[in-house]
Amino acid sequence: MALRKAKLKHFGYFILPALFLLVVFVLYPTINTIFLSFVDEEGSLSLSNYKEVFSSRDILDTRGLDRGFPFGSLIHNIMWIAIHLPLTTIVGLSLAVLLRGVRGGGIVKSIIFLGMVMPMIVGGIMIRFMFEESVGVVNLVLQTFGLEAKTWTAYPETALFSLIFGSVWLWTGFSMILYSAGLETIPNTYYEAAQIDGASKAKMLFKITIPLLKPITVVVLTMTLLWELKVFDIVYIATMGGPGGSSNVLALQMYLYGFREWDFGKSAVVAVLITASTLLAAIPMMKSAGDEAE
Amino acid sequence: MKKLLVAVLILISAVLFAGTVSVIGPWSGGEMDAFIPVLEAFKAETGIDYTYQTYRAEDLANVLPAQFSAKKSPADVIFMWSSFITSNTKNILELTDVIDTDAYIPGALDNVTAADGAVYGIAYTAKVKPGFWYRKSFFEANGLTAPETWDEFLTLLEKIRATQGVKNAIASGNGVGWPLSDVTEHFLIAFGGPELQKDLIEGNTSWNSYAVRNAIGKLVYLIEKGYFSEPTEWTTILEQWWNGDYGLYFMGQWITGMVDDPDDLAVFSLPGNRGMVFSIDYAFIPEFAANKTEALELVKFLSGEKGQSIQVSQGGHIATVEVDMSNYPTVDKEIAKLTEGVETLNDLDDSIGGLWQTAFWDQLKLLWVRPERLDDVLMDLEQKMPE
Repeated sequence: MALRKAKLKHFGYFILPALFLLVVFVLYPTINTIFLSFVDEEGSLSLSNYKEVFSSRDILDTRGLDRGFPFGSLIHNIMWIAIHLPLTTIVGLSLAVLLRGVRGGGIVKSIIFLGMVMPMIVGGIMIRFMFEESVGVVNLVLQTFGLEAKTWTAYPETALFSLIFGSVWLWTGFSMILYSAGLETIPNTYYEAAQIDGASKAKMLFKITIPLLKPITVVVLTMTLLWELKVFDIVYIATMGGPGGSSNVLALQMYLYGFREWDFGKSAVVAVLITASTLLAAIPMMKSAGDEAE
Repeated sequence: MKKLLVAVLILISAVLFAGTVSVIGPWSGGEMDAFIPVLEAFKAETGIDYTYQTYRAEDLANVLPAQFSAKKSPADVIFMWSSFITSNTKNILELTDVIDTDAYIPGALDNVTAADGAVYGIAYTAKVKPGFWYRKSFFEANGLTAPETWDEFLTLLEKIRATQGVKNAIASGNGVGWPLSDVTEHFLIAFGGPELQKDLIEGNTSWNSYAVRNAIGKLVYLIEKGYFSEPTEWTTILEQWWNGDYGLYFMGQWITGMVDDPDDLAVFSLPGNRGMVFSIDYAFIPEFAANKTEALELVKFLSGEKGQSIQVSQGGHIATVEVDMSNYPTVDKEIAKLTEGVETLNDLDDSIGGLWQTAFWDQLKLLWVRPERLDDVLMDLEQKMPE
């Protein structure tokens, strides 16, 4: 009993500093932000900030259904997820499988991983110039196929997609590295047994590799989804959400409400929306971790 | 010998204990290279060393309020929009008795003067945004002349576009968005008059008004005819324009300090134009500046004849105090002629500032590639005007 008490006491000493930091820098700001989202211009508690934000065209622009982009930052984030998430996951897995055991594969993987290593601000600047008409490498490639060169980030129909595909290039290294590590944990005996049974490479991929990489896939999907919900720096530096808001995203809109309009109530609403979305996205990962522990 | 020793000791003390003044300005690259000689001259005269940092005004607008509330400042002298200075006077040193306010050209300090007459910033040099720049050699080689009527302007654009090797008639600068807003303001002023610019700044005219639609309609007409290039990063397209890819480039006067041969430059305003944006660079000293004494010395220098003479001699600037005309490069003297008889006006988006400025720049980027969306653009601009 005394030993248990002593252990608890020591546990407390070690956990208190971290707990203090967590409370001060995470819990308190989160609670305060949620509270701020309900404080209106007069200082009273109401839902007026939520009404203003969710009825704002910056968040949801139904005019887009008739004329095209912009559709509002909420829809843009959803589109980002719908395109970026599967692409990054599939491309990352494919690269990990293709480069496994290949001579020079390590060097190729390192080059691909550079996108993750560089600051996203730098990545955003690179994306901006990659899609430029006169100096962009993307146009160089497209012109070899006879397509017309243009500054893809300057047009409302292509600005968001340029950023999304640019971010696939930046983020694929993350999924590739995780899958590469995951592939090393799959025992070779499984593949040997499958080969003996006459299984094709495709069958081995779908029946052995992918199922056994499920925990990695959960991590990749969750982390990528969390990043996509919070994406800001690439958009800020490459297009500033333009032209005409057609590449605007929630995090950038939160910034504009807070630091251009100086309306911290509306900014807090968007922050709450992003936080709630990320919590929802993190549930599968937490559940998966819990299942593994059991 | 003794006297020499004392003089040397005083000089060493002055250098060692002179302190340093930190400056933040919006200029980088060629523009920064044109400002550094001014700071060097200040250092040589006072012995006060300096540091210079580039920081965009729109980024400073986010950083400074937080810094001020923490009673801190990122620099001792900061160049910033006048609208920011006048809305943050409680965090800024009053300079009424520090600078010679009578030495300024009339109206130069209006934008940094509070209602009670207290002056909170200095007016440094100014740049005008006179119109469409072209290379004289390009015009001569292709038999082109500056237009005096709208129809002549259209004919000129057609001729430039038809010139071999030219991608388009007018280069469109991009980046943050201000190059497009400068062109747009020129059209608003040319076709709506100086009164329209003032009314828009004050919020007395709607963006959906006939006056605005008429003025911007002329711009949209040119965009629809394809006379403007795709918006491209403004310094990249500056080089391309200089190399002959484009015939005209609307830019502020600072372009004269950014090209290899300013004597080859010429400029014309839109025919019938009666106003010109006279964009003054303002600076202030924060209340929380670490080196106030040195900062006060610097602002005196920058608002004085010597500091501004050095700046205007670099090209691309107009002094806001009396300086000898011989300091101006030839091309800037010609710009000064263009300002005769026209009303000088404040910059539209700098004056309104805030979220509206960001929206203005953003909507113009859309207008340039999708001119058919003019109605949506004007509606968004109207909605985002501050109350």
